[in-house]
Amino acid sequence: MAASMVFRPRNYSAEEKSHSLTRLRANDHPLSTSSSSSHLQVAVVDHGKKDFFDPLRSLDDNGAVSGEALQEVEISSSPGLSSEASVQNSAKEWTSFSRILMQKFPVSKMISVSSMSNAIIKGGKIYEKASTSTHLEELEDPQKFAEEGVKVITRHEYVSRLHELRDEIIRAWRASDRVTTLKLSIKVARLLMDTSVLQFYPTLFVLAMDIMDTVGNMVWERIKWKAEFAEDGNKLYSLPENFEASDICSDAKETCYNWFCKIGAIRELLPRIYLELAILPCWRFLLDRPEDSLQRLVMMTRGLADPLASAYCRLYMAHCMLKLPSCDKGYLVRCVNDIKSLLSWVMLRKEAADGNIIDNKRLLVSLMEPTIEFIMKCIFKDVSQKQVGNILVELELGRNAMELFGNFPCVSIVLHHLLKELPIEVVSSSAVGILHVIECSNDYSFDQCLNYRLLGFRLCETKSRTDILNAVADIVIQVVTQYDSLDEYLKVVEAFLDIILQNQMDNHLNATLEGISKRASSKGTTEDELGSLQSVMVKLLCHCENLEDIFALEHFLEILDVMYGSSRSTVNVHILNMATRSARICDPTTIQLLFEISQALHDDIDFLNVKDEDNQPARLISRFVCMVDYGTEMERHLTFLVECRGAFGSIRGLNETLIHSSNCLAVKALKNGSKNLSFVKSCIAFCEVTLPSISSHTRQLNLYLETAEVALLGGLVSHSDGLINSALGSLQNLDLMDGSLMQADVDGMLSSIQKLCGFLVLVPGNPEVGVTHFAKNILALFNSQSWMKPKMRTKIFSAIISLTATLSQNKLPYHGKVLGNDHLFFGDLSYSHELTLLAKCVLQNLVDAIQQEPSSAVRGRLALEACNCIATSFILTQEISSIYTRLLETAKSCSVPAQLLSVALARKEK
Amino acid sequence: MAIELKLSRTSRVYRPSEAVEGKIIVKSNSSISHYGIRLNVNGSVNLQVRGGPLGAVESLYGVVKPIPIVRNKTVEVKPSGTISSGTTEIPFSVILRKQGEENLEKFYETFHGANISIQYLLTVDIMRGYLHRSLSSTVEFIVESDKGDLLERPISPEVILFYITQDTQRHPLLPELKSGGFRVTGRMTTECVITDAISGELTVEASAVPIGSIDILLFCVESILLGERIATKTSLIQTTQIADGDVCRNMTLPIYVILPRLLTCPTIFAGPFSIEFKVSIVINFQSKLSKLHSKSDPGTPRLWSAMETLPLELVRAK
Repeated sequence: MAASMVFRPRNYSAEEKSHSLTRLRANDHPLSTSSSSSHLQVAVVDHGKKDFFDPLRSLDDNGAVSGEALQEVEISSSPGLSSEASVQNSAKEWTSFSRILMQKFPVSKMISVSSMSNAIIKGGKIYEKASTSTHLEELEDPQKFAEEGVKVITRHEYVSRLHELRDEIIRAWRASDRVTTLKLSIKVARLLMDTSVLQFYPTLFVLAMDIMDTVGNMVWERIKWKAEFAEDGNKLYSLPENFEASDICSDAKETCYNWFCKIGAIRELLPRIYLELAILPCWRFLLDRPEDSLQRLVMMTRGLADPLASAYCRLYMAHCMLKLPSCDKGYLVRCVNDIKSLLSWVMLRKEAADGNIIDNKRLLVSLMEPTIEFIMKCIFKDVSQKQVGNILVELELGRNAMELFGNFPCVSIVLHHLLKELPIEVVSSSAVGILHVIECSNDYSFDQCLNYRLLGFRLCETKSRTDILNAVADIVIQVVTQYDSLDEYLKVVEAFLDIILQNQMDNHLNATLEGISKRASSKGTTEDELGSLQSVMVKLLCHCENLEDIFALEHFLEILDVMYGSSRSTVNVHILNMATRSARICDPTTIQLLFEISQALHDDIDFLNVKDEDNQPARLISRFVCMVDYGTEMERHLTFLVECRGAFGSIRGLNETLIHSSNCLAVKALKNGSKNLSFVKSCIAFCEVTLPSISSHTRQLNLYLETAEVALLGGLVSHSDGLINSALGSLQNLDLMDGSLMQADVDGMLSSIQKLCGFLVLVPGNPEVGVTHFAKNILALFNSQSWMKPKMRTKIFSAIISLTATLSQNKLPYHGKVLGNDHLFFGDLSYSHELTLLAKCVLQNLVDAIQQEPSSAVRGRLALEACNCIATSFILTQEISSIYTRLLETAKSCSVPAQLLSVALARKEK
Repeated sequence: MAIELKLSRTSRVYRPSEAVEGKIIVKSNSSISHYGIRLNVNGSVNLQVRGGPLGAVESLYGVVKPIPIVRNKTVEVKPSGTISSGTTEIPFSVILRKQGEENLEKFYETFHGANISIQYLLTVDIMRGYLHRSLSSTVEFIVESDKGDLLERPISPEVILFYITQDTQRHPLLPELKSGGFRVTGRMTTECVITDAISGELTVEASAVPIGSIDILLFCVESILLGERIATKTSLIQTTQIADGDVCRNMTLPIYVILPRLLTCPTIFAGPFSIEFKVSIVINFQSKLSKLHSKSDPGTPRLWSAMETLPLELVRAK
């Protein structure tokens, strides 16, 4: 019987020699060409220096970026563009601008309106209420009505009433009732006189403007029609794009003039201006220089004392100017100057009154801000350097074309938007001058510090001359030193930090950090300040090359300490990210700091509720732990791992890192000499303790095996045995789990078991429990697992057969540090007998398992694989041969490709 | 059956030397026989005195005999005949003033005032014998002075400088206005071409009391000679606001008032009547008192207002 099964003897070294290819020396590495690698390097460096402005960070109140959303919309039209296209372009801009305007100011549901807006209230009476006398009364004394006649209307009602008015206007126009059209349009324009609606005013403006534009277009089209068509509808003449007043027939001119007369007869100033603006392009039918009337309209607008109403009126003027074929920016500049005067006047008035008025004024300024912003944009669109000089002089900022900024104060909100729109070359070359203007422009229309801040950001946009930057930085640092509030300090410093860092102004950097630390530690930090602090810290981190430089910065850690919450976590993540960029972390102080940072991060983040994939902090902490290297102080390293296990318990996956690190440590210790055996034991003990907490079965299995390998490497056979047992034990528990194992897990497990079989070649057999103890265990384990598929079982059984065949050899293919079985049991008959017994048993199991496979295609393949395994493991005695034949037949019946069959058959013949 | 007069110009404006042209449009379901189609031009100055400084008896005779300019000037467009059914258009042309022809009166420009109206009417009559009512229709056309009759436009329009302070006011002022003081200065044209706008500028130099509104009031002064007396009627024809609210100090505001058509005409000094114009600059200050009297006549001096009235001569230029 024993003779019926004989293992095939193998000579591994001879086999290796015959199978391996001859080696040739290669001169070049196949994956790298030296030139391309250096290119890559340069690109990366450049990228790192570029500043990144997040466009989504806009619309908060920190000034510098508040209009970013609008900027996005602005498509600078090249001068070569046809007028039609640029008109379309500006129309698009206007649409998006007005949309933003409506969304910018939150409106409560209810709007209180004064009786000036009674076109809105008295819905049905609109037609009868046209008598001028009532209007006279109202306007004689708006105050009285404002006090007595305050009514409340819902926002929805107001808006829908405006839409109704619009429909009525269009209906009247279609019915050729021009008088009603005009009357209703005046009514709409008159609504804009009522600024008591405050936050609703921008929305009201946009809606009313839409109506004004509609009316303006209708009038334009009608007069154009009159100029082109005869009364009977025949086209007489086609007006060119750039027609002149002399091209227009007298009849059309008469109609046009009549419109201007009708509008000129409106008593109130504001509707008169609005309606003339609405039909402003119609001046082209009468005059060759229609922009002359703009001059007058700009002046007329000065008569509107209400700052809100007049600012929006100027906004509409800027919008209407864009409809003219050519327009002088001087008019817009004058508008800005008038707004400036008005703001100074408003701020001067009742200055002594209580704080409530100041609040109201702040609200007022914020409501006016978009108008200033838009007009400034229009002014600085496509301007040449020379024009900028003229504009600045006209704005009463510059003395002459050479000295663009004299020391003339400016209203700070106006200055802010000017600064935003100024061409960057001008900002860069006149930075010091601008700084002086900011210095002397300090009023409550806008925080002065935000203008400093904006200057900082603008200067970052380009590379300026170093001497200018130095001068600017000197002044700015001096200015911020006076600030008490951390918030203001940070707002300015944040903007200039890039300049300070890029130009190596180290003394300024130190002063800045000290300033922050001093202010933060004395008063604590608010949410707003945290945001700025975060930005400052991140900028520092991005700028520095390595972590030691950062930690060496004075006050850096103090500042980090005053931070908390998500900002702190963000900074911590950045620090860790930076730390883990290097290959390893050796400095014990750095490690200690990073450990504390990790701990803070860990405590701040609720790891249980974060998905694994996007859990960056957890990944960073794991990487940090992985990169820590104490060098020769391995005991310290192990202690560190123990601390980590205690500190970061809730991070999934970290324990794996710890086990890996510990194993690496053990291997390193072993390489340094066998005297460290007790240390290796501690490492293994650490692993053994940590291992059970790993939740993934496949990973746990692999880590058990890894640790077992390390233990064996250290000659710790009993440890190794114990670990293998634990590994198998962990598999034992598997059926306790539900059957929802993923295919990938199953495949992983299979390859782990195959690997274990390979490892068992090294493990010396223990005569006490039997040399085939582990192999038997595996066999038993897999026979007992009901979930195990026949396919998997087949593969594992094949692996065991290969293992027994290998163990039977006189010389094993590879050896570990401890003596192998070939030395221990050389010539021991009971040893080879035990192997043969096991092989026989497994072989039977193998054949059975193949037959259980339900899918015939798979069954055929499995049979062939088994044939392969048998052929390499055994000498084909009769018994083996019959099994072989039977398997071949199984394969044949399962219609395995004939080619494969013939190979297997040929093998048998051999 | 409908008859309509349609003038060649939609503005209906003609000069005395020009021919008034147009079409007579007759719409009828049946044909009409007539004894002739005639056009009749009538132009006159109508004077009327309402109230005023006259006694009760005189006011009964308020209507003063009109002064004819063109009296029943008749032109036969067509001799007797038949107008077929459907729409018929008959063109016409009437010369207002023949060269060399002596006129009754000067062709004053059309004007519609409170007491004086200068009107030109064109009437068409289709005579149809006793059995049928004659068909007729009337249309008003507007006369503007002949270019040839006009003076050269004044090369430098006269400008008046004015200033308004608490001391220039002849009516009582609120004590706070009196004590706080104010000063508004400016300049304005006092001779104005009727197709242009009244122009000028104004500056609020100082005002202790906040300003509510600044308005430019345009008045028409019509005078009629009644025997030895002159009945004068001053009426407000247009209000134009130039400042709304408490405007910035020392900022120049433009005065720009387009003259309303029909309600204005070149200033006339005729024997029996005259039509003149004047402008008031009215500053209303914000005060509690003004709220109580909101329905006041804007031309009347009030405690909370200051004003300055300037004469205005309107002329027709070439």
